[in-house]
Amino acid sequence: MAPLAAGLLLAAALVRLRLSGLAAAGGFLTCAYLMGSLSFWPLTATRKILLLAILSPALGIIADFAFRPHRATGLLLGALFALASVWVFWSVLVQQPLGEAVVLGGGVAAFVFWTVAFTVPFHADPLRAGSTGLALGLGTGIGAILGASAVLGLFGIALAAGTGGFLLVAVISGKRVSGGMTLALSVSVISALIGAGALVLAKSPWWSLVLLALVPLAARLPIPEREYAWQALVVSLYTLAVAVAYCVLDWSFGA
Amino acid sequence: MKRIAIALVATALPLTAFSAPESFTIDPFHSHPHFQVKHLDFMWMTGRFDKMSGKIVMDTAAKSGTVELAIETATVNTGDHEKGPRARARDEHLKQADFFNAAEFPRMTFKGAAARWTGEWPAAIEGQLTLLGVSRPVSLTVENWKCGPDPRTQGKRYMCGGNVSGAVKRSEFGMKFGIPNVSDEIRLMIGLEAFRDQ
Repeated sequence: MAPLAAGLLLAAALVRLRLSGLAAAGGFLTCAYLMGSLSFWPLTATRKILLLAILSPALGIIADFAFRPHRATGLLLGALFALASVWVFWSVLVQQPLGEAVVLGGGVAAFVFWTVAFTVPFHADPLRAGSTGLALGLGTGIGAILGASAVLGLFGIALAAGTGGFLLVAVISGKRVSGGMTLALSVSVISALIGAGALVLAKSPWWSLVLLALVPLAARLPIPEREYAWQALVVSLYTLAVAVAYCVLDWSFGA
Repeated sequence: MKRIAIALVATALPLTAFSAPESFTIDPFHSHPHFQVKHLDFMWMTGRFDKMSGKIVMDTAAKSGTVELAIETATVNTGDHEKGPRARARDEHLKQADFFNAAEFPRMTFKGAAARWTGEWPAAIEGQLTLLGVSRPVSLTVENWKCGPDPRTQGKRYMCGGNVSGAVKRSEFGMKFGIPNVSDEIRLMIGLEAFRDQ
């Protein structure tokens, strides 16, 4: 409940400053704080995820206020965070045989690139960005719990709760609350790293990343020209359908 | 006079050799680190690590010694490794990032030195336990320590062994998941046997 409350509070309080997109990272970091996980020494893979969870919305704020997003912005940011994901899991990758490390590191980097590159273009569409964060947060969170990591699981669910807070404020206010790059970048980076963490640090199956990569695609499906709340419901159903399908498959066929 | 000197040297040589530091290698088949953790504040549950290696160096004459142990964290075993209808088995959970994070930290190590001796054998070890990338001082008590010929080899092989115990707070190593339902205090009990290196 605390991450949802933090998301609601941040999304509502920062509407005028066009910083409501901080709701997602706010929910995530609230959970990390309550779990006593907000420390950065020694710099383990999980703590590197926390660092990037702070960095990504900060970068999003800079992008929102200092730059006009370009068509290639998603690709560039995707490549940047794909490289960062290799850094995050480097301590695990160096202990693997070279071939396995290349496949694992390459797969994780490709998943992070894909998720960021396909979510960042939603910076001007808060409903699609929010519903992507909601589904990716829930999917990666439940997947991590099934993969035997409750900490990563709670992180994912907290991200979904924070994003849910943002969506609720958008729907209740009935107007376009700006998520911007702050929301798009933070939901994509944090959820992609949690999903990758569940694969590398826990026991999620490799195909979890393939299925979760479909979430940003589902968010691109057409939505009816009706009330804002209705549109939010439809696009969330699209993305949540993918997340639920993934969770069912993981429960049935996962490790 | 010359004969007396030679006799004295000849007598002293074995003593010199005996008092020199001796190196021992841990017997992996009979040495296992066990641990106990309190569950829901009701009972102390026991688990162990199936794989450990290490070296002991002892100089009984100088009453000094060192020990180095390396424990494979992925071999943690509490007897619950069948997932069944649950989301996960306990041993699987213990290996992952919430607890031992074996993918990132496959080994925990202990490096220590004998700090107190009772008679001819060590009674206490002070050292550093490194777990999850964090090193903390740990004091261990040594009990039942003795050395002698291995009876299975008609005395051809020389060995030492005993029991080592202590306690740590896992939160000091960054392992905070589940506290207080799964206690912060962890009891360590290590049965050690080691063969003298040839």
